[in-house]
Amino acid sequence: MNPLEEISCKLLAHVKKLDIVDADVLAVRQTSDALNIRHGQTESIEREDAQGIGLRAFVQQKNGLAFASASSSDLSDQGLEALAKQVVAMAQVSAPDTDAMPPSGAPHPSQQPQHPVAKEIWLREKALQAALNCEQAALNEGETIQNSEGASAAYGLTHQCYASADGFVGSHRQSYASLSVAVIAQQGQDMQRDYEYSRAVTGSQLDDPAHIGRMAAQRTNRRLGAKSAQSGNMTVIFEPRVAASLLGHLASAVNGQSIMQKRSFLQDAVGKTLFPEWVHISDLPDHPLGWSFQPFDGEGCATQASELIEHGKLGFYPCNRYVAQRMNIPHTAHAKRGLTGDIGMGTHNLLWHPGQQSQQDLIADIKKGVLITELMGSGINGVTGDYSRGAAGFMIENGVITHPLHEMTIAGKLPQMFKNIRAVGNDLRWFGNRGVASVVIDGMTVAGQA
Amino acid sequence: MNLPIAEETLHTMFERMLPANVDDADIYIEHTSSEGISLEEGMVKHVSASTDQGIGARVIVGEASGHACSDCFDIPSLMQVADAARTISRDPNQSQVMPIHTKRATRQLYQKQSPVMGVTFIERRQLLEEIDTLARSLDPRVKQVFASINNGFKDVYILRLDGALLHDARPMVNFRVSVIVEDGIQRETGAAGGGGRFSLSELFASGEAQRLTREAVRLALLNLDAIDAPAGPMPVVLGAGWPGILLHEAIGHGLEGDFNRKGTSAFSDQMGKRIAAKGVNVVDDGTIAKRRGSLNMDDEGTPTQCTPLIEDGILVGYMQDKLNARLMGEKSTGNGRRESYASPVLPRMTNTFMLGGDTDPQDIIASLDKGIYAVNFSGGQVDITSGKFVFTTSEAYSVEHGKIVAPLKNVTLIGHGPDVLKQVSMIGNDMKLDPGVGTCGKEGQSVPVGVGLPTLRVDKMIVGGTSS
Repeated sequence: MNPLEEISCKLLAHVKKLDIVDADVLAVRQTSDALNIRHGQTESIEREDAQGIGLRAFVQQKNGLAFASASSSDLSDQGLEALAKQVVAMAQVSAPDTDAMPPSGAPHPSQQPQHPVAKEIWLREKALQAALNCEQAALNEGETIQNSEGASAAYGLTHQCYASADGFVGSHRQSYASLSVAVIAQQGQDMQRDYEYSRAVTGSQLDDPAHIGRMAAQRTNRRLGAKSAQSGNMTVIFEPRVAASLLGHLASAVNGQSIMQKRSFLQDAVGKTLFPEWVHISDLPDHPLGWSFQPFDGEGCATQASELIEHGKLGFYPCNRYVAQRMNIPHTAHAKRGLTGDIGMGTHNLLWHPGQQSQQDLIADIKKGVLITELMGSGINGVTGDYSRGAAGFMIENGVITHPLHEMTIAGKLPQMFKNIRAVGNDLRWFGNRGVASVVIDGMTVAGQA
Repeated sequence: MNLPIAEETLHTMFERMLPANVDDADIYIEHTSSEGISLEEGMVKHVSASTDQGIGARVIVGEASGHACSDCFDIPSLMQVADAARTISRDPNQSQVMPIHTKRATRQLYQKQSPVMGVTFIERRQLLEEIDTLARSLDPRVKQVFASINNGFKDVYILRLDGALLHDARPMVNFRVSVIVEDGIQRETGAAGGGGRFSLSELFASGEAQRLTREAVRLALLNLDAIDAPAGPMPVVLGAGWPGILLHEAIGHGLEGDFNRKGTSAFSDQMGKRIAAKGVNVVDDGTIAKRRGSLNMDDEGTPTQCTPLIEDGILVGYMQDKLNARLMGEKSTGNGRRESYASPVLPRMTNTFMLGGDTDPQDIIASLDKGIYAVNFSGGQVDITSGKFVFTTSEAYSVEHGKIVAPLKNVTLIGHGPDVLKQVSMIGNDMKLDPGVGTCGKEGQSVPVGVGLPTLRVDKMIVGGTSS
């Protein structure tokens, strides 16, 4: 057993001495390093070492099972004992719930796949050099780029362990390395900022630092001279970076908890056609490019690849064991859990399968429209699907980009937006736990100064 | 809570971590305990608690800072933290370490005790059950009620380079309620919340939870009748209170010292220039008793203050932490804040608001020939560099010929920070602070803040609706 597994089992041993029915534990340890440089000078270095343990315990009350949870960063023996006593006392306050799902007997995985973890994620000297090269490449991209918010390199290792009172103990490690840069372009009074980044499992797998720098500068430069949009109804193309938010809105709307709480515009939607029939979206807990590597979910249940949207139809509501029991729907092993707080749920790594056309081809098919490269604010009503957000991007006229746009809003209704998807590009990119290409949607309302 | 690490140990850490060329340094120790209880489907389904402690050490040389942190307080971990923070300097020589002396707080804006003060989980559960009953009794269309009470208590110790050891104990309580209403096949939601740096018993005694519950139900029912918002530029009247989020997004972030030192803010080099209409006065005030955004001292041990940002339309001040103030030749304004021991200090807002004018709010609404009246908002965001900002309504009405016509669906407004306050043409005499719900995010760190605004007429903003 590794130290995290040992400490988890120690906490469960303390719990078993108390008057409980069942319990489970999540323990996390993470180390992270980060450095920021600006104008070729080190601006800051950061080093973090943190650990924590969270406990959920179920007690028998007169009218059924009830539970509570608590977490602590004190992993001493006395600390663990105090934590166990605290949770058991708190569970007496919770209301008993006939649908409560204690963790024991959950469908645990028989074997645990592991993400490959490199011995050395990155070296500080190499990370520093990468950051310097990245910023320098950006600053070399023309005289409009004179100022920089700097480049950042970060790397670290997260180790998680889940253990339940029925004897299941599982743990996995995940390392990361990232490099990013943001620069400012200025022309007269006009000042614009944009960024680019790369993220991987080790430093050596990151994109070329100079390439990241050049991309950041090009993204920033092309925003200069932006005008406000003309108001009207038009076709909108979301570049992959912002299209990832559409996957986020879908994931929130089909979340089992939202459905149980009747907070979603997609109630009673399983099996129904939400998208054009050629749209496919998969949930892949072990995808090598997704950040959310999950051999088992927050309740220790074995995860598996699944089709969230197949031929445009919704396959299932991602849920945990409680929601499955309560709503009498299939359990999908999508529990998400933090150290403390109620067990939530959510998708693992969503992949929106790409199409055949390049972004340029997609733009060529648009007579009058807008390419969206940035979205601002959170104007989404999850209950009704009403959508209204601030945006920046580019005007498209007769199949070509004519000029940059800012100070505009785009609005619509998500159910209609999903149905109005005209095409998906072949420019697939991963953003955290979402992989997505450019998405074209017809009939959105754009508002600007004119 | 008492200092969890011996003074001698902190002294030893300083001896290891301070190079001769140090410009500033500090050690920040934090102990946080928080509790939450939440209700849905008429049941308190979940009770939770967390305890967290940690130490962050910082060494600053010129513009560069070294941070290291740990949640272990054993000697080897602490010495590793000191050594890691020092790696920002290449100077092999040691700085002299000042003797540690305890410095007492000069004022107390909130209680020194935990907000729990004997209010049991059972009493909290009873309040939530009462809220559930109240919400359902207000209208038969109320189908779901979610309510929660959260309370936290954070002890902060700061050892400064000058040897001063300071302590602040920071209570926080928060109540939130949201409801779902159903009318036929139509479903809508409404939410409200409030809180601040006071005790649970004060929250209970004030009747605020019941008032907020009525407010959430009212908003949800109103949303059932809401029509599509218009699209395009038009005059907007903002209600008093939480719409002050306009200030937070449009100008607040752009006036934080770091962006201006680096020249990346749309307000860089605007000091002394007109950035708002005459009559517009905006301050950031961390010294209001019991407010969510208030602090006795900031996270660098600097006392908070009331900082004028805009006086009669002219930009007069930035919000500063120690690092940015020093590099800009200014003084810290007590705005150096960090989410926790694990986060770096950044210049952040406290309570940011516009002072009241002398116009009757009714006259301001009546002045609208065709526009919208936005009473409440859900959240916002800004691009510091371009100055573009957005915020999204949660209660707004269309107004024609000075009369309120119909409630509008939630809609995002977008504007340009350096211009929007120049478009202010009427300022109400009803300045109000928000109910205590604000959380500000910057570089991944969340801190509690407050905002405030009198009723305000802005002559032109872009409204992001769907109807023409």
